[in-house]
Amino acid sequence: MSALYRPKTLVDVLNVPLLGRLLKWRWGRLALQILLLVVAVLLIIDGFTGPQSAARNLATVAPWVHYRGLVVLALLLAGNLFCMGCPFTIPRTLAKRLSIRGRRFPRVLRNKWVAIASLFFIFLLYEWLDLWASPLLTAWVIIGYFVASFALEAIFTESAFCKYVCPLGTFNFVYSTTSPMQISVKDPDVCRTCVGKECVNGSYAPQTVIRLDEIAGGQTKEVRHGPDGTLGCGTLLFAPQITSNLECTMCLDCVRACPHENASLFVRQPGQELLQPGAWPQRWDVSFLVILLTAMGLTNAFGMVPPVYELQQQLAETFGITNELLNLFIIFGLMSVLLPVGITLLAGTLGRLLTNTMKKFSLRETVAAFAPAFVPVGLGVWIAHYTFHLLIGLWTIIPVFQEFIGLPGEWERFGGVSNAEIITLVQVVGVVGGLLWSLYIAQRTAMRLYRRDAMFGLLPWALLLLAVAGLAVWIFGLPMEMRGSALFS
Amino acid sequence: MKQLCWTALLIVLLIAGCRQQASTTTDIRMTLSVEPEPPVVGVSEVRVTLTGADNQPITDAKVSVRGDMNHAGMVPVIAEAERVEDNEYIVPFEWTMAGDWIVEVSAELPDGTTASQTFDQSVAVGE
Repeated sequence: MSALYRPKTLVDVLNVPLLGRLLKWRWGRLALQILLLVVAVLLIIDGFTGPQSAARNLATVAPWVHYRGLVVLALLLAGNLFCMGCPFTIPRTLAKRLSIRGRRFPRVLRNKWVAIASLFFIFLLYEWLDLWASPLLTAWVIIGYFVASFALEAIFTESAFCKYVCPLGTFNFVYSTTSPMQISVKDPDVCRTCVGKECVNGSYAPQTVIRLDEIAGGQTKEVRHGPDGTLGCGTLLFAPQITSNLECTMCLDCVRACPHENASLFVRQPGQELLQPGAWPQRWDVSFLVILLTAMGLTNAFGMVPPVYELQQQLAETFGITNELLNLFIIFGLMSVLLPVGITLLAGTLGRLLTNTMKKFSLRETVAAFAPAFVPVGLGVWIAHYTFHLLIGLWTIIPVFQEFIGLPGEWERFGGVSNAEIITLVQVVGVVGGLLWSLYIAQRTAMRLYRRDAMFGLLPWALLLLAVAGLAVWIFGLPMEMRGSALFS
Repeated sequence: MKQLCWTALLIVLLIAGCRQQASTTTDIRMTLSVEPEPPVVGVSEVRVTLTGADNQPITDAKVSVRGDMNHAGMVPVIAEAERVEDNEYIVPFEWTMAGDWIVEVSAELPDGTTASQTFDQSVAVGE
């Protein structure tokens, strides 16, 4: 077995009274999933049958205002709570027979490139189809998630949709790396002698099977598998080797499946893994996932302010590109992919040149070492954007729901806006706080790699992080202007 | 667990089933104009005219104007209009943000009949 890992932990969350019992409960996840399923169904109903005004429909208000704002705060303050209760994976929870058949996801696709593409695609669709303005299309997106998740769960043995495809899950994976909670084990030695590795293999079996395992101390333990058992980790994480939240849905199936009650959910230092060498795979797809998601945060916010319409106009006038999809694809492709990739490779190369480590560290290793530093500033950009919408329309969900159930909406009472100064403060704290955290991580990384040449190695990355924050401040300082297809109508 | 699932289904059906639709008439024709045109962020004068099915001006309606941005979560602007002459109603209306708005004009007649119509309006950034 490869080296086992246990982060420094403070508290076993599952020992907290009531909360721990609820989370460990055999039906705990399903109960949370059913709650969110009810919400999803209501959104779909209103999306199809309710008023097609985005500000007055649950299908647009709940996802684009409340879900987005709450999820970024939850990721920073707690963990991947949405994936924990994700209703799209109810088929996996219920259709266990489907989940253990089939083959693994194709090897060539077992990376983050598909996830990067799905994120790019969903953000492009968001702008092209004005999803933020269309309850009907948003309802179709929700249905699409259910269909895609169920299809992939039915075809493949692992949770391929969660691990390789889902844009929501991928976003949550990346920013849960700042979270103060992580799955780990109480005693790694128990895992060394564990026979069944139920945390990843599961304790589910169509028929009851009883096994006697020899455990530490010469004792034996009865391990029972059966129809009441739990599926193992859908993303194939082995609990004692988890060093990162990058692929953890916090479903707690590993905790429920472990026959030794050894797996658990622990509080850790927020973002601990961002400072941990080797916590992440040193792969291009992982590095660019994090960096491009930061760029997509800037582009997504840029899509709401006046300069984007001027840019679209210029593209149309200069190059004759009047097709809106192509116009947006070019803008997003440049800002979210090509420019960030080019600048990242340039920063990596400059850093190696300035520290004379061209032979010591490959470009891939250099980019992989500094990629975690982009997580806090990226999260800061997303927090600044999403909490803006959340604080502007926090209470509008009440009159929208009142109108949904046929009551008059109390817009005068609940339609007020949060204090503009508070909103600005949250945005500044998000971006500046994220930047400072990112610079700290980058500085620690440079010290570790380059020692006395740390300042030279840090310089290109620090400039890049500063540029991200500067662009964010500029964008969020502009007046918002949400337009539909003004250029093309 | 099955009970939980059935309960959840019942909740959804109850909530969705409670929805009611207000009764309206489509016999009233409305026009909307904004001064200045095109509007910019800030206060504009919105004028609404109401005409009945028999082409007669409607002079005794209670008219309200509601503006929603086309992005979810934006706070609506709601204002009551005053009749100025014949079938013309005006209301000072504050466009709080630039972008696309959906303006809903609602009219309630003394006999209780109601009518509403939506208009699209694009608001530019102010000076």
